[in-house]
Amino acid sequence: MKRTLFVFLLGLAGGLLAHNAWFFAHRPGNPSGLDAQLAWMKSSLHLSDQQFASIKALHAQSSPQLQALATQVARMRAEFAAFENTRRTTGEVDFLEFARFVEQRRSVDRECAESTRRLIVAAVGVMTQQQRDQYCRTLLSSAGQPTATDSLN
Amino acid sequence: MHPPSDPLDPLLERWRDAAPPLSEHLNAEVWRRIAAADTPAPHLSLFARIEAVFARPSFAVAFVAACTLLGLFLAEVRLSRLQAEHNTQLVQSYLRLIDPLLDTAGTTRSDAAAPQS
Repeated sequence: MKRTLFVFLLGLAGGLLAHNAWFFAHRPGNPSGLDAQLAWMKSSLHLSDQQFASIKALHAQSSPQLQALATQVARMRAEFAAFENTRRTTGEVDFLEFARFVEQRRSVDRECAESTRRLIVAAVGVMTQQQRDQYCRTLLSSAGQPTATDSLN
Repeated sequence: MHPPSDPLDPLLERWRDAAPPLSEHLNAEVWRRIAAADTPAPHLSLFARIEAVFARPSFAVAFVAACTLLGLFLAEVRLSRLQAEHNTQLVQSYLRLIDPLLDTAGTTRSDAAAPQS
């Protein structure tokens, strides 16, 4: 009886120990930052060191502008929400102000789409056909609906 | 040429002539043993059988090794799922980086005042 229990517990302990040791030793890190994203690109697209260096440089070059645009888009979304809130509460709309907002928003959206398209075109320019297909497929499937990547196809 | 006689030989000869007395119950004992050999072993309970199996050192070693391998396999399955989630998060964050028009959820584009080209 004691021997059976001992062997059973030993097996359980061995299994748990092996499981946790293997899991925590190979657990992927927290995904954040451009470096982690580029590392993922390198491994999933099997980029060579030269391709990786080019793509990293392209992203590093575009990243500040894209982040600034993202901030601008977020600000404009907040502004739009404020417009909507005012319209709901007071029933009044400053049409001139709203027209100015819409025009500005269109301009920002155009700039975003153009920046994204430029970056993607430059990135796929250093890829092979197979890598390009996989890259576009991944972006399209993850985006869930048409994005700037559509212009590539 | 005869081999030298051994003093033990006459004693052995005498023992052969005088056969040991047969037990009165010899037949009965023989049949009892035959019957016992033919009777199947008493039925062991499941727990007793498990205990008997675990008592074998080879089985105990194999059991511990199998548990360890199962633990490793389940860790690999768990890691594989975690890696898939991790990759999805990376793709989503990458998309948000390269396309500022994606919502923070990362799956929808803003449609208000979208450029109509």
